[in-house]
Amino acid sequence: MINVLYLDDESHNLTAFRAAFRRDFQVHVTTEPTEAVRILREQPIEVIISDQKMPSLSGVEFFELIMPDNPDPIRMLLTGHADIDAVIDAINKGQIYKYISKPWNEAELKSLVEEAAALYHQRKVMAREGQQLITKMDEARVLARRIQQLTAEGSPATPEIRSEIAALANQIDRLLQS
Amino acid sequence: MREKGFRWSFIAWNSRCLFVLLSLFGWSTSVLAQDYIGKRLESLSQNEIPELIQVKDLAASEQWLPRTEVVPNLGLSNDVKWLRLKVDPRIENGQLIEIQNAGIDELICYMVCDGEIIATYERGVFHETPVDSRIGTYPSFPIPLVECGELQALFRLQSSKPLLIPLRITGPREVLRGAHERDVLFAAYFGVILVMLLYNLFLFLSIGDRSYLEYSIYILMVGGTQLVLNGYAPVFGAESIPWLNLRLTHFFGVFSGLTTIVFAQNFLRLSHYVPWLHKLLNVYFALYLVAFILTIFDLLVWSYSVINFCAGAIFFLIPGAVITMRKGYAPARYFLIAFSVFIAAVVVFVLKDTGLIPYNQWTFFALPLGSAFEVILLSLALASRINQLKREGAKAREEQLELAQVNEKIVRDQNVVLEERVKKRTFELEETNSTMQGTLNELQSAQQQLIQSEKLASIGQLTAGIAHELNNPINFVSSSAQSLRRDFEDLNAIVEAVKTLPASDPNLESRIQDIHTLLGQLDIEFTQQEIEELLNGIEDGANRTSEIVRGLRIFSRMDGDNFIQADINELMNSTLVVLRSNLRTQSQVTADLAADLPQFSCQPGRLNQVFMNIITNAAQATESTDLSLEEREVVVSTLRVESIGQSWIEVRIKDNGLGMDDAVKAQIFDPFFTTKPVGEGTGLGLSIVMGILRDHNAEVDVQSEVGLGTEFIIRFPI
Repeated sequence: MINVLYLDDESHNLTAFRAAFRRDFQVHVTTEPTEAVRILREQPIEVIISDQKMPSLSGVEFFELIMPDNPDPIRMLLTGHADIDAVIDAINKGQIYKYISKPWNEAELKSLVEEAAALYHQRKVMAREGQQLITKMDEARVLARRIQQLTAEGSPATPEIRSEIAALANQIDRLLQS
Repeated sequence: MREKGFRWSFIAWNSRCLFVLLSLFGWSTSVLAQDYIGKRLESLSQNEIPELIQVKDLAASEQWLPRTEVVPNLGLSNDVKWLRLKVDPRIENGQLIEIQNAGIDELICYMVCDGEIIATYERGVFHETPVDSRIGTYPSFPIPLVECGELQALFRLQSSKPLLIPLRITGPREVLRGAHERDVLFAAYFGVILVMLLYNLFLFLSIGDRSYLEYSIYILMVGGTQLVLNGYAPVFGAESIPWLNLRLTHFFGVFSGLTTIVFAQNFLRLSHYVPWLHKLLNVYFALYLVAFILTIFDLLVWSYSVINFCAGAIFFLIPGAVITMRKGYAPARYFLIAFSVFIAAVVVFVLKDTGLIPYNQWTFFALPLGSAFEVILLSLALASRINQLKREGAKAREEQLELAQVNEKIVRDQNVVLEERVKKRTFELEETNSTMQGTLNELQSAQQQLIQSEKLASIGQLTAGIAHELNNPINFVSSSAQSLRRDFEDLNAIVEAVKTLPASDPNLESRIQDIHTLLGQLDIEFTQQEIEELLNGIEDGANRTSEIVRGLRIFSRMDGDNFIQADINELMNSTLVVLRSNLRTQSQVTADLAADLPQFSCQPGRLNQVFMNIITNAAQATESTDLSLEEREVVVSTLRVESIGQSWIEVRIKDNGLGMDDAVKAQIFDPFFTTKPVGEGTGLGLSIVMGILRDHNAEVDVQSEVGLGTEFIIRFPI
């Protein structure tokens, strides 16, 4: 199940959210930003939803606050009304994925959360795959070095084979460098 | 032409007067022929005779000196003089001795018959003259002669005036006739004087020219002098006051001299035409005053001498009048004539006294006659002078008129120039005005736009707040409803399961087990709790929504610029409701609203704008401090106060924000003044607030201290 964290100063919203999505997601809700930070540390949160207008700090400020330690979870901002300044701030500072206005459409919100979670996982997969690729490339690079060394030290191979292997090694190098 | 006519008529009138007077004298000539017997008199001074001598012995004295004049002049002194007259009893028996001089202060006549005093007659100021001894009103001292062999009349004489002795012996009839003639002549004279006096007084009263009054006094004095000189003072009761009676001649001499000087000075305008004479006459004036003082202090002889000396002053009036006339002052001519006549009369009078010309009725009458002429002529002179003054006045007026016309022309010319200039300036002004009007219109429209934008700004602010405030409950109400449906479906499943449970089923145990399993699956306890929570949320949401809508309804009476009765607390609450979401993130707002406040007439919509503005400012002021959200406070309170004999609703909005210094405080209500950064706030908020409060006749007091906070105190009269 997708782990969703929802931060809002309005407890009724939290209740409604949990009631709506508890069947689909693992829902974590809180009215306190400090509590939210604790949950983030302890739970594998994939999607964070925050209300923009809160007494102690705004949603964008909250995102800014948690980003250094939790860059991965997908962030979504929930607001009572469209405030252009908040939108600009959210994009520039909070790097949010989606901007949702109240009252939310349950189905829409659900799919958005799923999309976000999918994105989260996709990013995770991509990151993992990328890592694997880099590892493989490193191995290839080591191999290419080896071939170069072998061809350089006057091996018994014919000069034709030698030059062919060198060309292949260069090719691998070029590929790795790109 | 007019002047010429006047002159002719003057001459004609003058000659007629002359004719009347001449015929009067012609008539009296026959009786005025006098037969004074001064040459028969013998005189003796008191200092020439031994002391303590008897009168009868004096009569026999050998020291008598015969007089040579027809009318003996015994001079002016305090000395007692004696005269002796030997009467021829054969011829003169039964006749009367008559001395025609009223100016003798004391006269005692001793009738000595054959060396014995047979009768004594006392006359003069110091003696009560028996009225019956008078003949006519003229006091001519008639003394009866008695029969005797050798009759001598001894006269003891003393006077403060010159002792002239016009003495004659004549019959009672002649005395009576002479007295009558004098009375008639003097009556005529006094008639002239009286007429002139009244005439000039009347002129003074009707015209108001002071010179007529001066002239009237002059006439009075001249007439009075003649009256006294000729012994008519007793007629007016002067004898009842001997002290005055003795000095009347002196007083009238002094006053007629003074008035003559004043009259001549003013009439001839001597200070202007002949200044030296004016000054000289002032000296004479002073001398007359000296004479007056001498008279008061009984130095009567000295006084008379001074008066006599001063009388010489009138001789200077002739050259004075001539000079004045030469200088072109026409009235001086009449003055000259009048005074020439008078001076001639005076000369005759004086010459008669000195014996250079005969002392007779003619010479005696010269003075009153000249005086009458003078008075008449001077009156004419005065008329001429008044005319002259009128002419001068008319001329001056003409000159003034001419000058005024010239001035008017200048003014007219200037007016034309001025008018043109004014026209030009007016045109320029109109142009400037129309330009300014345009600018003003632009300014007004700009102001309108600004006010509009301020309104829009507050509406925008409001909308954001309200939207958030409404969207939250709507959000959780609608969301909760959907969740509730799902929970209900869960419950429904159980209900269905229970419903389909047959009353008696052998597998009941297992079915119940199934239901329990279902309950466990559905986590029904959690669901129940959730339903409870969702319902609470929905209820709360519904309440809050309706509260907001109600607040909004009150708040949105912005259309109403009408004054209606409203509850201040309701207004305040609605403002706080719509501001709640904004305020919540800024400050702890608490309201302390007094119960039972009366409704008052106001514009609720506009007042909401006022409260919203001030409360928002207050919250923002607290937000800018280092205080935590819990420490930031805005307190809104309402209460009723009684002050200066009136009831007020007081609204206080107090914050513990940044506060203001006096310089800022002084400007907060100025348009476009703002402490916010450029672009945030128009600076019109409080200026509009002030305008609205002014429309409500509200009093505003702002108390603020930097670092402590600000308090707005607004009082609405109720």
